[in-house]
Amino acid sequence: MLVGLDVRPVRVEAYIGRGEVAFVLTGLATTTVKESRERVRSAIRNSGLDFPSTRLAVNLAPAELRKDGTGLDLPIAVAIALARAEKRPPPGSAFLGELALDGSVRHVDGVLVAARGLHELGYERVFVPAEDAGEAALIGGLEVIPCPSLAAVVGHLTGVEPIDQATSNVAVTEQPSSVEHDLLEVHGQEEAKRALEVAAAGGHHLLMSGPPGGGKTMLARCLPGILPPLELSEAFEVAQVRSLLGDLPAGSPLDWTRPFRSPHHAISTAGLIGGGGGIAQPGEISRASHGVLFLDELAEFQAPVLQALRQPLETGSVTITRSGGSVRYPARFTLVAATNPCPCGWAGDGIRACRCTPAAIDSYQRRLSGPLLDRIDLQVTVRRVALEQLASEPRGEPTATVRARVVAARRRQLDRQGCLNAQLKPPRLRQLAGLAPHSRRTLERWSAQRGMTARGFHRAWRVARTAADLDGSSEIEEQHVLEALGFRLNDVAA
Amino acid sequence: MAEQLALELARAGVVVVSGLALGIDAAAHRGALNAGGVTVAVMGTGVDVIYPTAHTVLAEAILAGGGALVSQFPDGTAPRRHNFPARNYTMAALSDVVLVVEAAEGSGALITAEAALDLHKEVMAVPGSIFSPLSVGTHALLRDGAGLVQNARDVLSVLSQGGEVLDDPLATPAGLGFKLPPERDGILFHLSDVLAVNASELARKLQLPISDVLGRLTALELDGVVKRHQEGYVRALRRGKERA
Repeated sequence: MLVGLDVRPVRVEAYIGRGEVAFVLTGLATTTVKESRERVRSAIRNSGLDFPSTRLAVNLAPAELRKDGTGLDLPIAVAIALARAEKRPPPGSAFLGELALDGSVRHVDGVLVAARGLHELGYERVFVPAEDAGEAALIGGLEVIPCPSLAAVVGHLTGVEPIDQATSNVAVTEQPSSVEHDLLEVHGQEEAKRALEVAAAGGHHLLMSGPPGGGKTMLARCLPGILPPLELSEAFEVAQVRSLLGDLPAGSPLDWTRPFRSPHHAISTAGLIGGGGGIAQPGEISRASHGVLFLDELAEFQAPVLQALRQPLETGSVTITRSGGSVRYPARFTLVAATNPCPCGWAGDGIRACRCTPAAIDSYQRRLSGPLLDRIDLQVTVRRVALEQLASEPRGEPTATVRARVVAARRRQLDRQGCLNAQLKPPRLRQLAGLAPHSRRTLERWSAQRGMTARGFHRAWRVARTAADLDGSSEIEEQHVLEALGFRLNDVAA
Repeated sequence: MAEQLALELARAGVVVVSGLALGIDAAAHRGALNAGGVTVAVMGTGVDVIYPTAHTVLAEAILAGGGALVSQFPDGTAPRRHNFPARNYTMAALSDVVLVVEAAEGSGALITAEAALDLHKEVMAVPGSIFSPLSVGTHALLRDGAGLVQNARDVLSVLSQGGEVLDDPLATPAGLGFKLPPERDGILFHLSDVLAVNASELARKLQLPISDVLGRLTALELDGVVKRHQEGYVRALRRGKERA
């Protein structure tokens, strides 16, 4: 059984005793599991097997663990069938699958997660629904038996007709990801494109502000393309979260492209962070892990929803506690937020006049200020380019060129410190990313002039480190600090 | 621009009347105060109600500078939309010359200008970029015969105080007291002091990588030579006296 990304094995015991006809299920089973009695009974009968006509007890151990989900159908049915045949399953085997009334085995969510967990726990063999076998087969060193029906499983176990082991049809090698949106298509917007490059290289979060139609969404969609393809371990983590949600494409469970999630601003806290009854389901931030979380119209999101983002932004993971227990999901995403400068959207636009009162603009921007903005390293203004000018604006560099620079900069960081610059804690920052005296003076001068917080100081420092890495420079030069400060829009001159 | 004009006019002894509102109003008051001049705020609220509240400090500075807060509304009048056009009329009535620095279509400044015409006062306007929505109103005024203002002297000559100008505002400002490092003036050349230019555009004009341009702009900003706005960068006229 799955508790978030954790796997808890459940031992199913069946005993056929004497006494009146009954089917007793013990071991803290919730409603979905209790209902399985009816499915199991029908499936066994419709598989041409014999259902006990005396007292039947099935126990799910450990008894204190709440059992939920339909994945226990198959193990319960197998336990009964084997008890009837007075046999035992081969040691080191695990079963997972939902039963249809006719005895066929149906898909369950999270097979990849279960297979990984079972393998770690030392199981050698898993029996999974035939359609999910591709997921489980991604785990190397695990024997995966695809189960089309209960009859086939029992046939396999009694040696009547063995089922062939499933093999992975996906080559577990990194493949170049296809690029959906190429930076080449973005005319002008040099500042924003540079900000994207820095964000990609250092794992920094980015806020774009500008009028509607400026191309904020287009720019954000270009980000996954300039990130390097997922590493194997990252692709596994992404696939596991998707597996839990039953969202893995059957044909190619491993996807090397970085996730890009853009939830609508009406999203609830549970939808964004994760939640739900019993055991919390992963939310959008976990689905965006190792990729991009794009929040368009940032100011329109409910304040508590944005507040809830703060902890995952800092730690790269999220822990959610619900009645069924506490689970931890990955949440190491790059946040790209977009906002209009004011309620009508046209403040600062060179083409159309803004109709908002200063107080309205102020309160709109105030909605964004504070702790959340303090955690966004890069802020950039996106401008609308008049349609007739669009064609004359220079085209961008192709995504592949930018990605090559990003990959090189990331490698420098990983070789030096084992993580991206955005994840450097201040002590390590001081130790690993020394500022040249001149650079430090510039940063301190700005800090004093603009009343920057200590957090802001370190953020600018990290961005400067990334700018230096993009330059292939081991020292942080003044130029890098200045560029980093150029991406801080919210430092008001004192 | 408003701040600069107000500063030079106040230095020449002109009393600057404005409305204590955000933006141009505040800039005008500050400019006059920076020159040690007298400035009058005509309020759309009761004199005891500072609106916007953020201008409490500014209002105190106006009083401390020997100026006045005046209002035609009884004490305690809260800000009401319909009171402000009436306040604009009073502003025009108190002034000899009405100077419009920026006005979008339908701006309150145009109400003041209209009132000035009714009262047979002189109306003057500062032109702007033809691309700026904030200059549509001033350009309409100029087309309709308002006096053109490029500097403080233009205003002073209308006030027939031209002869009394001690500080020639047309002279190169002596306060431009900084030397530009040679590699940075290329950027300054492409910047204007009224129309904001964004970094992407500069990078294209200068044929420099954007990271370079951003860095240089920030350096100039740090030196107080340029200012960053929502729309882009502008040249700051003088340094050291940005905002109170």
